Amino acid sequence: MANPLVSDRLIDFLLYEVLDAEALCALPAFSEHSRATFDPWLGACRRVAREVLWPTYRPMDLEPPRFEGGRVFVHPSMRTCWRELVGLGVLAASRPSSVGGQQLPLTVSTLSNVYLMAGNLSAYAYAGLTTGAAHLIEAFGDDAVKSSFLAAMYEGRWTGTMALTEPQAGSSLADVKSTATPTSGGRFLMKGSKIFISGGDQDVTENIVHLVLARIDGAPAGTRGISLFAVPKLRPSGEGLRANDVTIAGVIHKIGWKGLPSVALSLGDEGDCHGWLVGPANQGLKCMFQMMNEARLMVGANGAATASAAFHESLAYARERKQGRPLGSTDANAEPVALTEHPDVRRMLLRQKAIVEGSLALIGLTAQLADWSEHAEQAERRAEAKLLLDLLTPIAKTFPAEKGFEANALSLQLHGGYGYSSEYLPEAWLRDQKLNTIHEGTTTIQGLDLLGRKVIAGGGAALMALDGRVRDAVKRAQAAGFDAAPLERGMDELARVTGVLGARGASGDVLGMMGHSADFLELASTVAVGWAWVEVAARAVQNDDDFSRGLRQAASYWLATELPRAQHLARLCETNERSYLDVNEAWLD
Amino acid sequence: MPIKILVTAKRVEDYESKIKVNAQGNGIVLEGLKYKINPFDEIGVEEALRLVAKHGGGEVVVASVGTKDVHEQLRHALAMGATRAIWVNHAGPLDQMTVAGCLQKLIEKEKPDLAILGKQAIDDDQNQVGQYLAEWLGWSQATFASKEESLESEAEKSKTPALQLSADAKTLTVIREVDGGLETLECSMPCVVTTDLRLNQPRYASLPGIMKAKSKPIEEHTPATLGVDATPKITVTKMEHPPARKAGIKVPDVATLMDKLKNEAKVI
Ligand SMILES: Cc1cc2nc3c(=O)[nH]c(=O)nc-3n(C[C@H](O)[C@H](O)[C@H](O)COP(=O)(O)OP(=O)(O)OC[C@H]3O[C@@H](n4cnc5c(N)ncnc54)[C@H](O)[C@@H]3O)c2cc1C
Ligand SMILES: Cc1cc2nc3c(=O)[nH]c(=O)nc-3n(C[C@H](O)[C@H](O)[C@H](O)COP(=O)(O)OP(=O)(O)OC[C@H]3O[C@@H](n4cnc5c(N)ncnc54)[C@H](O)[C@@H]3O)c2cc1C
Repeated sequence: MANPLVSDRLIDFLLYEVLDAEALCALPAFSEHSRATFDPWLGACRRVAREVLWPTYRPMDLEPPRFEGGRVFVHPSMRTCWRELVGLGVLAASRPSSVGGQQLPLTVSTLSNVYLMAGNLSAYAYAGLTTGAAHLIEAFGDDAVKSSFLAAMYEGRWTGTMALTEPQAGSSLADVKSTATPTSGGRFLMKGSKIFISGGDQDVTENIVHLVLARIDGAPAGTRGISLFAVPKLRPSGEGLRANDVTIAGVIHKIGWKGLPSVALSLGDEGDCHGWLVGPANQGLKCMFQMMNEARLMVGANGAATASAAFHESLAYARERKQGRPLGSTDANAEPVALTEHPDVRRMLLRQKAIVEGSLALIGLTAQLADWSEHAEQAERRAEAKLLLDLLTPIAKTFPAEKGFEANALSLQLHGGYGYSSEYLPEAWLRDQKLNTIHEGTTTIQGLDLLGRKVIAGGGAALMALDGRVRDAVKRAQAAGFDAAPLERGMDELARVTGVLGARGASGDVLGMMGHSADFLELASTVAVGWAWVEVAARAVQNDDDFSRGLRQAASYWLATELPRAQHLARLCETNERSYLDVNEAWLD
Repeated sequence: MPIKILVTAKRVEDYESKIKVNAQGNGIVLEGLKYKINPFDEIGVEEALRLVAKHGGGEVVVASVGTKDVHEQLRHALAMGATRAIWVNHAGPLDQMTVAGCLQKLIEKEKPDLAILGKQAIDDDQNQVGQYLAEWLGWSQATFASKEESLESEAEKSKTPALQLSADAKTLTVIREVDGGLETLECSMPCVVTTDLRLNQPRYASLPGIMKAKSKPIEEHTPATLGVDATPKITVTKMEHPPARKAGIKVPDVATLMDKLKNEAKVI
């Protein structure tokens, strides 16, 4: 059977049983929707993922973009993928009707996009980047910018990119050096170098709009001097378009995401690169950060999707491949059995399931918070959802990427020697997955964000909100007969350690606090995914079919094998473990 | 010249569902099944949309017979772009004569220029409704409409399609699949066409299409209001799975193979 990429039954269960997506339709923003629109939409995404995107995945992986004569040529099948993605309506699906969108809840669009990502991560990224860039223009652009770019982007005639990174400014965007000089016409003349810009050139659409971070001449140093600009590859000129002095300096030779070019861009080599200011001057990073939750959630979804496709591949392989005899069998003439007969193989499959489906549940919960934080009718409800959303975003970005990489390695491992060969797919997904721990803020940066900003914001209010959700889920699960006690203990650890680290930081020991950001991120992730699994288990207890049993098994597995690690991680933080804090780089070689 | 086309959207079990025969052995287990539009009907909807677009507009009316569940399939066709829908509300067993009878009455009311149906439905593989319908209407028919070459890519879309309507809309040229090749028929209009698998690759429903479909009308009828006797003339007496395929064997040489084909399989 063909790889399903993502389990339909699981996604339906998450949407309708765990997340109660239909309840969102009571909100005015989503009143046009109901299950009668969600189901056909999911159906269409599933088909496009399986019938259009998936068959192009391997060809694109094998034939990366070419850079010739200053232009980038992508795999020819990208044209078909783009046409179908645009035709499907993914670009503006969750945008308001005022900009031609369909106001689909993010809860639904995030989980439906997982199919498209699992089918072909690179191909979907053209759409994800375009929506992200257009959304920035929609939110912060003035009428002139909007009328120049927005419709063309949401209609898929032009694509968009995020052009933040520079050679000296990766994790630290405060060090961005590109410049913008005001002109008398209200536009800016741009100058600078950007690197790793995904979708920075392609031959699929006629034009590309780069959203560029740069400094207006005379702006203050640091983050408070950075502004956001729309910089098209071709700029509107009279009735047509003309070159805008954006040069492609080269394409990056990547180990994954090979269907999507990532390029080095040079702006204004000839002094004729026009930019349009988006949002207030010097507020560029702030504007960008307002979109960060969505972008980071998308990376989490990328991670879950990549691990999901690999999980299903290894499950089918393990069912088919005959090797060895059951434990304890002494009959040398017995027929070999399927790999799934071996306990350790089943463990590796269950671990992948726990990571993949736990990630999907967490992403669904986070997306739902994004919907409530924007559209709930009561202000308190919006505020509470926003707090939780901010807290969970670094986790929903990181967990699927980091643990997804482990799941991808297990998929490869289950294929044995064949997994190590590029005739089989798991190695490709493993390469793709690695990017998700790097772009949109590395795992380290997410850890610093979580511990340095998110948990301490509002005097720990976000953590209190999570605590409330966790205990409520535990209560419901216990009442339904599922033992969720380990989650409660994990939550206790998390709450206590947050207090300890916060106090240590407040006393001036920044290293003693922030030096444990990786431990803390892992601890919080283990608990958050535990919560997601308990939410799932609480609703999967009634039935005794294979599907529900599988969910309970994976939930129990997570609580039994991972939650105890919360104690260990908590101890590292509480005792202020020094081995890695005090290491001197001179000692390392 | 605008044209009006009637198409069908039968609700069938998804071919990816696991189909099991029920305990009584006269039908299948319905629990846990997924449903979709009959793929041949979907091809029909697509072809109708293309014809209408090519001939400067018109209407694509989609019909289905069954319980309210068929609204799902009607909405799917509407989301693809069909103009409006007709639902013939009927619960219980249905045979091809009842369906053809209902469609005949609808066509007499609607007076389309053309009816496009799937050549068969993937649930019971009957391959009869289109033929009955043409006979009872006294219309010409072209079954198994297919095509010579792929018309899916941009470059290929300019090539001759399998269904071509003359400028005066009086005749329809249809390329159809026959054993070992293709044949071209010219039919006088109005006519009934049934679709084969290779005719086209249907478009996917888009989100804007799905949203628009919500407000497109679905008109309701029943066999009784149409004056059709829905008593089945066919009853299913027994249903069983095909015998499981036996594992293959390896033979050491050609002589053994010939011997086995001759004496065991008795095929040569
Ligand atoms: C394939 C690909 C596509 C990309 N697409 C885009 C794109 O479309 N647009 C765009 O703008 N950018 C893009 N990027 C850039 C990406 O966002 C950066 O690579 C990322 O932010 C890391 O920056 P860097 O590569 O300069 O690494 P560095 O910042 O040099 O980081 C190197 C290591 O040091 C750690 N580190 C850095 N600073 C700190 C600190 N203060 N404290 C602790 N540890 C630290 C990091 O966690 C990392 O492990 C892309 C990158 C890749 C590889
Ligand atoms: C690059 C490379 C170089 C190699 N070089 C050599 C060489 O020089 N000489 C040589 O002879 N071979 C060589 N090999 C083969 C290598 O030793 C085998 O790939 C390895 O032993 C695994 O066997 P397999 O690939 O058939 O996987 P399988 O045996 O099919 O294993 C698949 C998965 O199932 C698990 N599994 C299998 N049986 C059981 C069981 N009974 N209980 C629990 N789990 C089980 C495995 O742990 C694995 O995760 C090479 C392989 C590679 C990739």
